[in-house]
Amino acid sequence: MIQHFPVLAVMILFLGAFLIEIIGRNDTVRNLIAFVAVTGSLILLAALIGPVMLEGQIISYWMGGWAPVANYAIGIGYEVDALGLLFALLGITAYWLSCVYSFGYMKGREHLSHYYTLFLMLAGASIGFFLTGDLFNMFIMMEIVTFSAVALTASNTEKLTAIEGAFKYLINCSIGSAMSLTGIALIYLECHTLNLAQLSAMLPGSLSMTAVMAFALLLSGFCVESAMIPFHASFVDAHTVAPSSVSMILSGMVLKIGVYGLIRCCYIVFRLIDTAQLQILLTALGSLTMFIGVTMALAQHDFKRLLAFHSVSQLGYIIAAAGLCTSLGLTGSLFHAINHTLFKGLLFLCAGAVIHSTGTSDLDSLGGLSKRMPVTCCCFLIGAFSISGLPPFNGFVSKWMIYQAAYTKALETGNFYYVIVTVTALVVSVMTLASFVKVLHSVFFGQLRSVHSQAEEAPKIMLVPMVIMSVLCVFTGVFYKGFSKLFIGPAVYSAFGNTSYIDSMMGKGYSELFGVRALSPDALSFSCWNPYIWLVLFIIVFAAAALVLFVNTDSFGRTLEKGMSYPSVYGTGDMNRDFLGNTHVEGDPSEKYAVFFSGEKAEYSHAGGSDLFWGFKYNWHKYYSLLQGLHSGSVNDYCCYAVMCIAAITVFMFIFIR
Amino acid sequence: MFDKLINKSAMKSPWIFHINAGSCNGCDIEIVAVMTTLYDAERFGFKIVGSPRHADIVVVSGPVTLQSRDRLIRTLAQVPEPKCVVSVGSCPQSGNVFKGSYALDGPLEKYVHVDVAVAGCAAKPEAIMEGLYKAAQILEEKRRKIRVAAGRKLSAEAVPEADTASDIGTDIKDTDVKDTEEKDNEGKEAADV
Amino acid sequence: MFVFKYLFYALVFPGALFTIAAGLLLSGLDRKVIARMQRRIGPPIMQPVYDFFKLMGKENIIPAAANRAAYRLAPALSFVSLAFVMVFIPVFGFSAFSGNADLIVILYLITIPGVALIIGGSSTGSPYGAIGISREMVTMMAYELPFVLVLLAVAKKAGGSTLVFSLKEICDYQAANGCFLFKWSMIPAAVAMLLVIPAEVGTQPFDVAEAETEICEGPLCEYSGPPLAVFKLSTCMKMFVMTGLFTALFLGGIRTGNAVLDAVLFVLICCVVTVICITTVHAVTARLRIQHLFKFYWTYVAITALASLVLVWFGL
Repeated sequence: MIQHFPVLAVMILFLGAFLIEIIGRNDTVRNLIAFVAVTGSLILLAALIGPVMLEGQIISYWMGGWAPVANYAIGIGYEVDALGLLFALLGITAYWLSCVYSFGYMKGREHLSHYYTLFLMLAGASIGFFLTGDLFNMFIMMEIVTFSAVALTASNTEKLTAIEGAFKYLINCSIGSAMSLTGIALIYLECHTLNLAQLSAMLPGSLSMTAVMAFALLLSGFCVESAMIPFHASFVDAHTVAPSSVSMILSGMVLKIGVYGLIRCCYIVFRLIDTAQLQILLTALGSLTMFIGVTMALAQHDFKRLLAFHSVSQLGYIIAAAGLCTSLGLTGSLFHAINHTLFKGLLFLCAGAVIHSTGTSDLDSLGGLSKRMPVTCCCFLIGAFSISGLPPFNGFVSKWMIYQAAYTKALETGNFYYVIVTVTALVVSVMTLASFVKVLHSVFFGQLRSVHSQAEEAPKIMLVPMVIMSVLCVFTGVFYKGFSKLFIGPAVYSAFGNTSYIDSMMGKGYSELFGVRALSPDALSFSCWNPYIWLVLFIIVFAAAALVLFVNTDSFGRTLEKGMSYPSVYGTGDMNRDFLGNTHVEGDPSEKYAVFFSGEKAEYSHAGGSDLFWGFKYNWHKYYSLLQGLHSGSVNDYCCYAVMCIAAITVFMFIFIR
Repeated sequence: MFDKLINKSAMKSPWIFHINAGSCNGCDIEIVAVMTTLYDAERFGFKIVGSPRHADIVVVSGPVTLQSRDRLIRTLAQVPEPKCVVSVGSCPQSGNVFKGSYALDGPLEKYVHVDVAVAGCAAKPEAIMEGLYKAAQILEEKRRKIRVAAGRKLSAEAVPEADTASDIGTDIKDTDVKDTEEKDNEGKEAADV
Repeated sequence: MFVFKYLFYALVFPGALFTIAAGLLLSGLDRKVIARMQRRIGPPIMQPVYDFFKLMGKENIIPAAANRAAYRLAPALSFVSLAFVMVFIPVFGFSAFSGNADLIVILYLITIPGVALIIGGSSTGSPYGAIGISREMVTMMAYELPFVLVLLAVAKKAGGSTLVFSLKEICDYQAANGCFLFKWSMIPAAVAMLLVIPAEVGTQPFDVAEAETEICEGPLCEYSGPPLAVFKLSTCMKMFVMTGLFTALFLGGIRTGNAVLDAVLFVLICCVVTVICITTVHAVTARLRIQHLFKFYWTYVAITALASLVLVWFGL
């Protein structure tokens, strides 16, 4: 019974997509179908946690019962190990939340049945990508993801640039999928099979030139999909213009397809990750990506574009950590992948809520919204703290693992290069904080614009996913030990020890036929901090301190807000009387609560927006003018970078891997 | 609980915010001179702060010009209680040589109760020091009176129970309050040196 | 029982009360010594205490443009996080939360007071606050690079080819092999750390964020009364936390065997460090501009710290 679940989880989403197109004219019916489909898929996948994560089973399923013949896989196989299930669970959680959010966010727009059809196609394809055990099937799923994502991006009728962004996205992904397809063809030429389990038995150890070429192309393809520098630019454009519920998926989830492919490809199928040069290539790409991503984000003045650049930056962390090839590094990488989906999804949802209320995402024309949208502001704060890695939120734990893994790698190999990776990761983290301070100040704090003085909090149906994600951010940060033991530990183990992956698919003893050695994962030992006592105490003392500041004792200075009066000596609360009861007029009483403005009459004065960190940018102006020149917005340029980089990766592979 | 300490501290740590209401800069540099090595007002805890929200003592120099009047009033309103206003130099008191000018709308007393007035053109640093020191003492009195006023307000709310009313605000005896009130009602203390 | 033990740690000894007392002492000392350096008499050592209590008695005006919750919670966050950072820093032999504190945790916890100041300043809605938080954030970015390099150098020196991030282990290593301040390869790192401290604390010449003469104390511009008092108190505490961290990193090997004596000695060393890196620098310099501050940290200070890291890397 249980082996049907993965396929059902994918099928139910595709089925929902078709049903919506046929009978989804009515709003309620359509929403119901979409909700049932994602919820059903979520339940089916959650049911797999027990056997796969806890008991360590690997579920294999041959479509149509086409089992291998003479040790050759001829049918399409679904194979669910902990690594795949981890990503699939992450994916379906994100889709579920995004689906619920869409009910509120997309309400009242046109062609909603197309939107939900495409949405469910996207969901089904990306879940299928994580669960499939066939390389060509992965490619198919990737293509479905790409095309539904492109259509969804273009479906944002509010932005004129949506079609342009979708077009760029399409072109860029086409390069990636073309590379993947060529790589797959070369592999088929070499091995006459495309089953991942069989490939991972046959390929490693003795790679021919064709296989190296195929690896280089596949790696480039997945690098494109995971928005590494220099493939990131058109992704950023697309994430900016897509509807926020889709941006959240594109940025939080679809980029993970590249990450999953990369891990699957490097760790399991080709098992090349223990090559020092490949490690250096991946960590270098990752470090470069995180640095350029975050510096670009600092210069943005659009809320969503800033978030999109941060996605690029955080993907850099994930890839760099995965490239370290230590179990702590991979744990950090997977943990960060999960966290990234959570906090980046949360931030995009907050951006969506802001757009929903005010109609703009331009940082220069927002401000002071925390008074109008307190829940959104709180969620945003949690998301921002998580992504900047402040304890006790989840970003801290995963980043902590990444630093520790990188520095351990540096100490063990004695290679100073890894120190640079560590330092980059640490410094990028504070820059991340800086850019979120910018958003925080420009959007939520500071002064409220009169245009937005009537802005309303987002409807409840939009707040629910945001609150759930905030809770998850805190939960995974505080209970990181149990969480990583339950979900990430098995995934790391399955990425390193792949003989059982081969055996459960191709029959017992298959891996020994080829003499497959599993990578030996070093013992996973990490002692982060033990936050519970600390946290409980912190909360208690914080509450006490806050109470002192909130309480209105006379012993301390009274807290005055607009409309309150200070106890006067004469018992009357007349604001216009000075201390001794003289009736001198000290101006308009509301002046007391006006913002200090050097004595001038307080007026709207919100210093914020894109140029908040002038002192930083001043020193980097050459760097910025270079980068801004490179981010030309022309898809020709982006294709040119992509092709050059793919060529470089291929050459690198031929020089070092052989 | 901390009342005594807070009352004492009110005198020991007066922070100064300086407003120039059209001064010729003569008094301004004397005010700055007070903080320098020679006079070292910091030994009494004086400190010049940058925001009226932090200030205890507002030092005003210059005859109140039409241009500066609204700004002065606005800034004074933003200073939290208890606060003192000290005028430095003859200009805020009388207008000095500028008296009769079409551009003046002084004296300062028209707009705010001045606690201490330091005369002189320009006022001598020693005089400013003494004026500030007196202002610091007035600050402490004001702090006490605020506490008593707050106690009274509470006791007025709790009229039926006389016991509780007497409990509140027992730190300062009624006679003390009368004394200080009388003293204050005599008006400002001029510190002409 | 252990609840009381941890409560004691958090509230009294290495935590809140001790940090407050030592921080106020350091701050008073700083003001006194700087006055003596300028041949003034200077305020009494108790002056920060008076300042604190005076502010506690002042009226608290919440500006109409402010977000009230954030405005009031920010100072509490700043204060509590500083008190709790100190719990993680070993006082020579004694460390309260031993074993689970390390350099990265401390690096991040120390940024929280800065973040609290930023949230507070930002929530007031004042344009001065906006400029102030911008500068505060740039300052944070500026000193982060040298700070990270110093911490990595210390970790490498204490660990060799194994990863040692735990502060307690670093102190134990120094107790066994001599303090890092007296290893010549670590001297550049110590110098860099001494330069990081004033920026972290926000004293001249690195007090661009709170420049009272140009931007009216920046993030604190709209604060008055008790919240301001708590912010001022956190500045004092930050002085102690940062100098304490320096002491643990570079002089952690001192052991007298007596916990009380240790604590007294620790505070004394912190006093000396404060006088060297905060007071003296304050007395002889004028405020930098923000872009120069950033450049200074990412070039001179970072190179100094990097020199130490490279020296340590090659086993010197």
